[in-house]
Amino acid sequence: MADIEIEIDGNVVTAQAGEMLISVTDREGISVPRFCYHKKLSVAASCRMCLVDVEGAPKPQTACSTPVNEGMKVHTQNAKVKASQKAVMEFLLVNHPLDCPICDQGGECELQDVAMTYGSDMSYFSEGKRVVVDNDIGPLIHTDMTRCIHCTRCVRFGNEIGGIAEMGGTGRGEDLKIEPFLQEGITSELSGNMIDVCPVGALTSKPFRYALRTWQMNATPSIARHDLVGSNVFAQTYKGKVRRVVAKDNDNVNETWISDRDRFSYEGLSHENRLLKPQIKLNGKWKEVQWNEALEFTVRGLANQVSDNQANEIGALASNTATLEEFYLLQKILREMGSENIDHRLDIKDLENSITLDSNIKLTELESIDYGLIIGSNPRLEQPMINHRLRKAVLAGADIDVVNVMPFDFNYRINSENIISPYQTATILAEISKSVLKSVHAKNYLSNVSARDSAQSIANRLLTADNSVIILGEHIINNPQAISIAKLISEIAQQTNSATLNISATSNSIAAEMANFVPGQGGLDANAMLAAKLKAYILLDIYPEYDFHNSVKALEAFGNNTFVVSMNSFKDKVISQCSDVMLPIASFYETSGSHVNIDGKVQSFAAAVSAPSESKPAWKVLKVLADLLKLQGFHYEDSTQITSEAVNQNRQKATDERPVSVIAEAKRGIDVIYQKSPYATDVLLRHASALHATKIGQVHLASMNKSTAEKLQVERGKKYLGVPVMVTESVANDCVFINARHPIGGKS
Amino acid sequence: MISDKAKEQIDAWIKKYPEGRQSSAVMEALKIVQAENANSLSAEAIQAVADYLDMPRIAVQEVATFYENYNHKPAGKHTIRICHNISCMLNGADNLIDYLEQKLGIRTGEVTKDGLINVKKVECLGACVGAPMFQIGDKYYENLTEKKIDEILATLK
Repeated sequence: MADIEIEIDGNVVTAQAGEMLISVTDREGISVPRFCYHKKLSVAASCRMCLVDVEGAPKPQTACSTPVNEGMKVHTQNAKVKASQKAVMEFLLVNHPLDCPICDQGGECELQDVAMTYGSDMSYFSEGKRVVVDNDIGPLIHTDMTRCIHCTRCVRFGNEIGGIAEMGGTGRGEDLKIEPFLQEGITSELSGNMIDVCPVGALTSKPFRYALRTWQMNATPSIARHDLVGSNVFAQTYKGKVRRVVAKDNDNVNETWISDRDRFSYEGLSHENRLLKPQIKLNGKWKEVQWNEALEFTVRGLANQVSDNQANEIGALASNTATLEEFYLLQKILREMGSENIDHRLDIKDLENSITLDSNIKLTELESIDYGLIIGSNPRLEQPMINHRLRKAVLAGADIDVVNVMPFDFNYRINSENIISPYQTATILAEISKSVLKSVHAKNYLSNVSARDSAQSIANRLLTADNSVIILGEHIINNPQAISIAKLISEIAQQTNSATLNISATSNSIAAEMANFVPGQGGLDANAMLAAKLKAYILLDIYPEYDFHNSVKALEAFGNNTFVVSMNSFKDKVISQCSDVMLPIASFYETSGSHVNIDGKVQSFAAAVSAPSESKPAWKVLKVLADLLKLQGFHYEDSTQITSEAVNQNRQKATDERPVSVIAEAKRGIDVIYQKSPYATDVLLRHASALHATKIGQVHLASMNKSTAEKLQVERGKKYLGVPVMVTESVANDCVFINARHPIGGKS
Repeated sequence: MISDKAKEQIDAWIKKYPEGRQSSAVMEALKIVQAENANSLSAEAIQAVADYLDMPRIAVQEVATFYENYNHKPAGKHTIRICHNISCMLNGADNLIDYLEQKLGIRTGEVTKDGLINVKKVECLGACVGAPMFQIGDKYYENLTEKKIDEILATLK
């Protein structure tokens, strides 16, 4: 759009024709008060606070809903504006309690701030004020609706961003109330953002309620590591503790929003299960010791188990939440010692068959796709911020097709939902591939494939769309044909000029790959390490019961006659059973480090607080351990030196020679897809109590259809692998989809 | 919750709007469902309308609570909507409201014990020329007096 010139308070500024006045004043740093306007939400123009004087207009105009015109002359500070704003302020305060000292929003309240500048010191209103009865809307948001000024930001947030209209304005006039239907709880996975957008104390953070005032805390910019996006946040700290997490703007990553998972996970940091002191196991009994003793014990233990030429008897495993620097140091230690037994892929049944698929589309580009194909994913719960971008694309007219084992609750329109059994996933992709390759010489393995209608129409969409993306999700990781699925996707993408997005692993898994935290030449992968029963293991923030695909095998491997070094942020029964030494390490916000997101963007962060008690950041522990092991090349002064070394190391990607096979094996029994509850994906989340009280946190079901249930001889009301059974015909044949809060043990 | 007959009626309204804009029929749909359910809308009824029109429940709730002509408590067989806006007020509506309340033994917003009549105070119905006035069903009764009210009430069965 063309640039035009307008005059604000006597100064000429440039603007784009058609944009709203308030975005010009915001850009120019001219203060215009507002309550209902929010840059990421639609314009309501209901609070009337942003009145400005436009020359030629008989009455003051709302800056949020007045488009700019060439030559427009605007006054934001004259007497007419001041008088109008003062009058509006008085009306807004008619029903608003004037008890800021007992309001949780006090000190960070837009109404309080604006009232200080624009309000009158007295009110003509002597009648009784309106009182609204509050209802419990869930464990994350506290309501105090008497304070509500009906700006409808939360209502618009639900409609436009959250994708589920939960809050609404019921009644009219003085009886207007902002509330959810029937006072039901709020269920959105992004609900915490309503706290951020609320300009008053009507919606506040429940876990943080009445804890502190905002000015008592320091805000440290940080990165949330629970998903592939790495949302930018501020960790607000007080006396060495993280007390609240709020969103930080970054249009290339999370815009202004963060998921509830990123917002409320900090609660776990102060859980009583934190591991706080180094401990060593002597004759089967745990003893708390000093750090130097624990580390010497570790070095001795490793030396005892592994003599000089047997370095390949040591293995290192790390959880996906580790930082880039931690991955890098641990793999460097192992490689310096001479072992290539390094892996972070713990929950995959068959690593020979593991997925390799590059992502080649940026988060911001996801918004402008016109066609998307999602395979094996429930993105809303797995990757809320990626799902948010997809939703924006759909609202802008994109179509999304889904291939899943059961229908999920998408918060946007789905073009077609193809529910098929896991063993048919590769087949349908082969059919799409065949339709795509119609004219081109088809590959051998496609000779017996004939495309069904749905596959043909997906192929057509991929061929005709200008910007299309194929998304591979985490339900595929344990599909027996996972590698064929990934290869077919990359082939289809190539032929149709589509992008690919691999969201099959989460948290900081991309950093692990970047740090080369995978087995090298001759090294064992995670499953092989467990099967080989090595003489020593170094575990980085691993909780065997939860993290391994087969926890039974893991516990066997960590049993007698091995030396297990556990670096953990939390303690639990299983980890103390199978370790010989436990080293307490820092958790989220307590260490400096880096997250690598799906764009390949390395986002580094500093520690917001120091690690509690005697726990230490893992990168420091690893550095000292390397020194004690007399390894060379570990003279780092701070974590940024490690970061640049990790980022700049030369990595060579081996070409993937595994063959594609699309033969749907005849009757192969029942496929089980196990997915952790979105609030149980890492150890910090598992200790964040408020999240577990939400509806999403409560999800705990093994869904299957009737014929599967009959084959497994279970029924509604019974349990399968310890998870309550839900029989529904919407699940594909011969498939159980488990979404569980707790581990389900050794899964075949 | 919604009978086949009601669905037919709602579908006729949906047809009046472009495809995909079925939510435009929400007011009529609520009216039809209300008529079928003892002249009031329960939460289940609102839910049913929301599902039928593929709308968020809260959006239907917003409409149902915004307009005065939807009831959320069981209403009487006949609803007297009595105007208390400026013209009627100046012509003695307040006294007539007191009289009605006394005569029926209920307050405005309540239903008589036999479930026959309920009284609602409403805003201007656009019949100022005949103030004071009230509405029962589709019919306006104008230039009301206490005597006239007695006569009208006697006809309600």
